Amino acid sequence: MRILFVMDQRVDRGSIQSVSNYVRAGDKAGHEIALYGRTDPRFPTIRFSMAVGSFDYAVFLVESWRHWMSALRMPRILAEIPRQRRAIVDSDGMYNQIVSPDNYDRNYLYEQTRAEWFAHYQIVADKIFQPTFVPREPGVRKALFYGYDPSQLISAQASPAKAYDILCVGHNWWRWRQISGELLPAIERVRPQIGDIAFIGSWWDTIPAGAAELEVESAFGTDPEWLQRLRIQIKPSVSYTRVVNVMSTGRVNIMTQRPLFRELKLLTSKFFEIFSADTTPLVMLDPDHAEMVYGPAGRELALCDGIAEKLVDVLSRPKKYREIVDEVRKHLQRNHTYLNRVQELVAALQE
Amino acid sequence: MKLLIVSRFDRSARAINTIAKYVRIGNELGHHVALFSEPIDDMPDLATSRDATSFDYVMFVVYETPDFPDLPYLAYLLDGVPRERRIIIDCTGRYNETIQVEHDFNHLEKMDNHMGWEWIDGFAAVARTVLQPTLLPIRPEARGFLFHGFDPAAVDRHYDSAEQAARSWAGTTADPKQYGMVYVGNNWQRWSQMRSLLKSIEAIKQRVGPTCLAGWAWDHRPDWAAELGVSGIDTDPDMLRQMGVELPGNMSFDQVIPFVSQAKFCPVIHRPLFNHLGIVTNRTFETFCSDTIPLLMLPSQMIESIYGPAARVLAVGDDVACHIQDILRCPEIYWDAILKTRAYLADRHSFQRRFDELSAIAAK
Repeated sequence: MRILFVMDQRVDRGSIQSVSNYVRAGDKAGHEIALYGRTDPRFPTIRFSMAVGSFDYAVFLVESWRHWMSALRMPRILAEIPRQRRAIVDSDGMYNQIVSPDNYDRNYLYEQTRAEWFAHYQIVADKIFQPTFVPREPGVRKALFYGYDPSQLISAQASPAKAYDILCVGHNWWRWRQISGELLPAIERVRPQIGDIAFIGSWWDTIPAGAAELEVESAFGTDPEWLQRLRIQIKPSVSYTRVVNVMSTGRVNIMTQRPLFRELKLLTSKFFEIFSADTTPLVMLDPDHAEMVYGPAGRELALCDGIAEKLVDVLSRPKKYREIVDEVRKHLQRNHTYLNRVQELVAALQE
Repeated sequence: MKLLIVSRFDRSARAINTIAKYVRIGNELGHHVALFSEPIDDMPDLATSRDATSFDYVMFVVYETPDFPDLPYLAYLLDGVPRERRIIIDCTGRYNETIQVEHDFNHLEKMDNHMGWEWIDGFAAVARTVLQPTLLPIRPEARGFLFHGFDPAAVDRHYDSAEQAARSWAGTTADPKQYGMVYVGNNWQRWSQMRSLLKSIEAIKQRVGPTCLAGWAWDHRPDWAAELGVSGIDTDPDMLRQMGVELPGNMSFDQVIPFVSQAKFCPVIHRPLFNHLGIVTNRTFETFCSDTIPLLMLPSQMIESIYGPAARVLAVGDDVACHIQDILRCPEIYWDAILKTRAYLADRHSFQRRFDELSAIAAK
């Protein structure tokens, strides 16, 4: 099968890592997978193609905005691939009724906007997939989409030197309430027992221009003075080609997830790429959620209660946690490889 | 001709004045012209329609990607109107390879997330005919069509002679002008030229009179521009304050001609990219409708080819202050040029002409 992904690709965010994995795993499985566009040196692992009509299916990867599906991009695709051979991977759960956990994060602010998205999706594609175990909206199909690539695993021998005790790699987008309410107070309690800490990504120290105008200012809460007081270094985001290596410079990597995604149980690239790094991942999910993705060993890596003690424990008992992480990796290899994902996607498209 | 115009319709931006002329004058000329929209509350006299199938042609007037409609309307237009009957007016030279002139550009991925090739590929997918408002398009696939035009009926004050015009303009037979110089336009890729102009007339500003810059972002550089590192929306609020320049902000398109008439002078400035590509704008023509003396700050070849030979004397050379002082001394010479240029524009660049040209292009 020939599958053309269409997305608003960014080098340092979103689902580009997974597309890279689909290209590689697709080759192994005998499927040609490419991303719509021209070869771009910023994306060295991606196969690009403009030959829209030569693909069997177009799969749109939609994250939290849709205007990139502009009149410059859509006409050729709509004209050359009929709707019954077009699908959407609804990565950010936009194809749901309004969901607003704790009246904080949300997929939509207004019902009108939701209706516009639904109308948009219905024109673009015949099938809508969501990377969740539990889709809510009728007509949405489950397709976990994101996965683990064992060949990307960085071994301890190949790993860069550890520069940090704790790393948090990700963007400060709807995460501040969890970070400021749970993680930072815990770090504060045990700060003397922890070495260097860094947050790597966008918007940890500034709110982007235009946030208020777009009514998303609350997605960007931050407190640079507090971060400074806790000696948390802020570093710029990194390319997807470097992210696993950068994660490997931390003894511990903490994965946070925006509340909307936790509520909808949405998977992201980060769920799996963090296990390719030479690090101990701790995921800020409840243990049941962690087990659902990572298997029983994943419960041990859930960071929800007793966060301060857990951080100290992980840093002081690396061998124990290395064994737990290896156990999770085995689970991922059995259940969540990109080879599995490619086969699942092919089957879902053919349904 | 039954023509449906597709764009974003904003009272103070882009081609709204030209678009309104197409609807009003087009319908007066017997064409059927409407905007692809629900009725527009603040422009109720402009005909609108969502029924694309009842028009001969759909004309997309494009500056930025949001000028195309969102889905589902885009799909409706693509499904309902064959590509042969779709026309794009490429107002900013997007349908070219990437060009940078000084800090101006026709593509900038960091602003709209579209790479240069996407503009070419996308335009070709949407429409068979891509028209650019220039006499000399670079790409062979693009055709020149100036799009904007001159409406003689919109001229604020008519004069029988240059002498009469000059006396009125000088305040001898009419109220004195409130401003020495005004400019109406958004601060996008114009600051370097505007700054240079203001500096040039600083020494004679008492003689010239007060200055006013109407439009977006003359008073501050937007945060997003600084964040993205986009040049071309620069300004210097301190300098403007020191010079006493008024900054009233955005202005509705139907207020522009009478407002500009309140000034002795009005510069005609094009973006560096437009000067390079020979692209004209609404203001290229509309300025000649106001009761003011245009200061043509355009390449000399463009002045002659668009405005005709009489406009040469309106060209501002290197010494702006000297040019303005000469106008103040002998306004009649300049008004003679304006009246002749108006006649030239009415003959060569009326909206009736534009409809004839567009019909001929479409018929091919």
